[in-house]
Amino acid sequence: MKPYHRFRHLTILTLAAMTWLAGRAIGQTPGAGDEGKRPPARVFIDSPMIPVAVLEKGLSFLAPVRSPAEAQVIVEIAPPRPGGEPVLTIKITGSGEFAGIADSLTVPAPPGRPPDELEREVLRVLRLALLRFATKTSAASRLSVGFEDTVKPTAVSDPWHFWVFNLGVSGFLNGEEVYRSRMLSGSFSAQKVTPDWKIRFGASISSSKDAYDVEDYHYESSSESRSATGLVVRSLDDHWSAGVLLQLGSSTYNNTAFRLAPQAALEYDLFRYSESTRRQLRFLYAIGPTRIRYREETIYDKTRETLWSHMLSATLEVKQPWGTVSTSLSGSQYFHDLSRNRLSLDANVSLRIFEGFNFNINGGGSRIHDQLFLSKGGASLEEVLLQRRQLETAYDYYFSVGINFTFGSTRSNVVNPRFGSGSGGISMSFSM
Amino acid sequence: MRRFPRVLAAPAAGVLLFLGALGGLRAQAPPPPQTADIEALKKTAPRVFLDCSSCDLEFIKTEITFINYVRDRNEAQVHILVTSSETASGGREYTLTFLGQNEFKGINDTVHYYSAATFTEDEIRKGLVRILKLGLMTYVVRTPIASRISLRDEGPPAGPAGGTDKWRSWVFSVSSQGYFRGERSVGGSSWGMNVSANKITTDIKLRLGFTADFTRDRYEYEGTTYRSRRESYDFSGLFVKAVNDHWSIGFALAADSSIYSNLKFRVAPAPAVEYNIFPYSKYARRQLRLLYKLQFEAVSYHEETIYLKTQEKLFSESLSATLDLREKWGTITIVGSGSHYFHDFSKYNLNFFGVIQLNLLKGFNVYAGGGGGRVHDQLSLRRSGASLQEILLQQRQMASSYNYFVLFGLSYTFGSIYTNVVNPRFGSIGGGGMSIIIN
Repeated sequence: MKPYHRFRHLTILTLAAMTWLAGRAIGQTPGAGDEGKRPPARVFIDSPMIPVAVLEKGLSFLAPVRSPAEAQVIVEIAPPRPGGEPVLTIKITGSGEFAGIADSLTVPAPPGRPPDELEREVLRVLRLALLRFATKTSAASRLSVGFEDTVKPTAVSDPWHFWVFNLGVSGFLNGEEVYRSRMLSGSFSAQKVTPDWKIRFGASISSSKDAYDVEDYHYESSSESRSATGLVVRSLDDHWSAGVLLQLGSSTYNNTAFRLAPQAALEYDLFRYSESTRRQLRFLYAIGPTRIRYREETIYDKTRETLWSHMLSATLEVKQPWGTVSTSLSGSQYFHDLSRNRLSLDANVSLRIFEGFNFNINGGGSRIHDQLFLSKGGASLEEVLLQRRQLETAYDYYFSVGINFTFGSTRSNVVNPRFGSGSGGISMSFSM
Repeated sequence: MRRFPRVLAAPAAGVLLFLGALGGLRAQAPPPPQTADIEALKKTAPRVFLDCSSCDLEFIKTEITFINYVRDRNEAQVHILVTSSETASGGREYTLTFLGQNEFKGINDTVHYYSAATFTEDEIRKGLVRILKLGLMTYVVRTPIASRISLRDEGPPAGPAGGTDKWRSWVFSVSSQGYFRGERSVGGSSWGMNVSANKITTDIKLRLGFTADFTRDRYEYEGTTYRSRRESYDFSGLFVKAVNDHWSIGFALAADSSIYSNLKFRVAPAPAVEYNIFPYSKYARRQLRLLYKLQFEAVSYHEETIYLKTQEKLFSESLSATLDLREKWGTITIVGSGSHYFHDFSKYNLNFFGVIQLNLLKGFNVYAGGGGGRVHDQLSLRRSGASLQEILLQQRQMASSYNYFVLFGLSYTFGSIYTNVVNPRFGSIGGGGMSIIIN
């Protein structure tokens, strides 16, 4: 035990030394991240036809200079060539730190076009074409681009009429001396999403297998699931939608050999759907029958049954400067026995209490009285520990809470890639 | 974070390139609009492939409506590659690389957007939209829809910009998380905290961090309750000094304790040197870093090890190579590393990891990856055996002389190339995509 106190000491000493070294390392070289401090780009305009003063006034996000030698950006506006196309040619050349940037544009200048109209047009084109220089200087922070027209997103020429098809396969295998696992999956989907319709059909199949081998103990488990889903939604107005849902599938986890559940549904959004990226509060009601066949006889002595049920859910999603809220409350119930029901709440909230201090909570819980599929045979110890079977329960919950406080030099834009920056992890996600 | 871009090259490219060449890249600036039908203008708006996994795409599509979004890189006139790196202050630097294609071939640009650690998601997405709009103007100005764009300049700010940094680049962070779950026969909780202090400039990098984690689980089976417990403490320090655009030197210090790994206490100082074959300044798109480390370790164990030790002092060396490439046709990440102890050269460890994502053919996305290791340096293994539940719940490290994983995926998408529409009804639906995130 004793020698390790010495090492702890060493740790603290080394820390102190590192901190001291860091304090001395000043006089850094400027690098990326300093764009916000660069003064506006110096521009020189050569225009025999249009008064330079007019153009300079319109280009307020650049700094005009009197000679090409001082300039970082040179703009040359040439009049139509005799006998050539009746166009003005605008040539833009970067130099110094903008060296290598070159651009060329034309503005129609038919004989008889009023000079003031031509002037406005050249200035309009120049302002947009020269923006790329402003994005690399402090001027970027005060500029904003506007587009006031509303235009339908479907105003394109599309021979496929917005249908998109996807086929995918994926696999993951891993192992070591005492453990092996394998996961394979395949999927197909066809979808069409327009402002009026949302149609999606998908099918997927996946199988997984795990095996443990420790001395004379050997255990293998596998699971398989197949599913198909369908969704057709018709937009009624900016608050209402109607749709049909279909689920078809099988799962070892849920003791289900075959399940078919078509549902009719109606949705109401308290806010307008067009505000969906900022806030939505959607109420969804669905009703329909479920046809189900079990793998093993259930604790209610059933091997197959057809049941009617309905469900109601409320989903709130808000993304504002103070944080993000995403919560959903849903309840469902079987009609043959109203006490067979389930109530679930899910919440994901991330809030900024004050600058630098964030709070987040992420969780969910259910009151469960509808596990009609539980098998009489029960589960083995391995199935319990590896979570291969859903177990009997009247509730489940999970939640995580976190706080984070960051302070200090929180506006530094330096990126230092030395010795890497990641945590070295890898994560994968497949959605089907 | 990276996501598989939906992408690729097309046979029609040659024809389009030829047309582009005829046009000589000189855009005919459009005549004044007034009566122009906005829907006709939208049809000729730039076709953009936004290659960004961390972006709020629905928000961007709602806010920027003067372009057409396509799902295939090859159909696009502008391919926007967005990469992000952590900044010294814990925020992110987004590098937006605009690559002109087809009619806009040769017109390229790079712009940056910086988000602070204190920004919320909404502030980040609004900032990205603003800079995206500015960057897109280089292309929009070449299409008729440019006539409907307005540009507003708020003028120079009143006060002097910037100021001195009283924190001298130091950033501190304290965080804590708790996690709880339960049902009748299964339950568990974990709690963790993390404290860090970082000072990062272009010249030096100093990171100090402490993490503690506690996990408890409960399983009930046939009247018996199984309980498991894990605890770990971890301190790490890193100091790096820049030598030039290819070389760095540094010093790492780790001190940790873990029930899983049978470590009661371990302290490991290690001087190190790194060489990057590409200049460090190209970090957003490519790096190939070679890192050599010489490490001393003083360890004490919870239980006697299979080598009959309760404590020991060890010297080792390690070398690792990391390749990261982000191109418009895909990404490549390959990491290889090896280490051995000096007291016994047969105690070594070799590791390899690689993932390649390619978008070479129109509509086709392929990824493949794999990794493996030869492990001959598990000096901390407990002498006593593990119980069945310790194995299944992965409560302690097991002897293994190798490990491996293989992953692959293939996705083919065809049909409509446009993805302009945002339809929030009945909630969002997955597009059947796949993603791999490598930190």
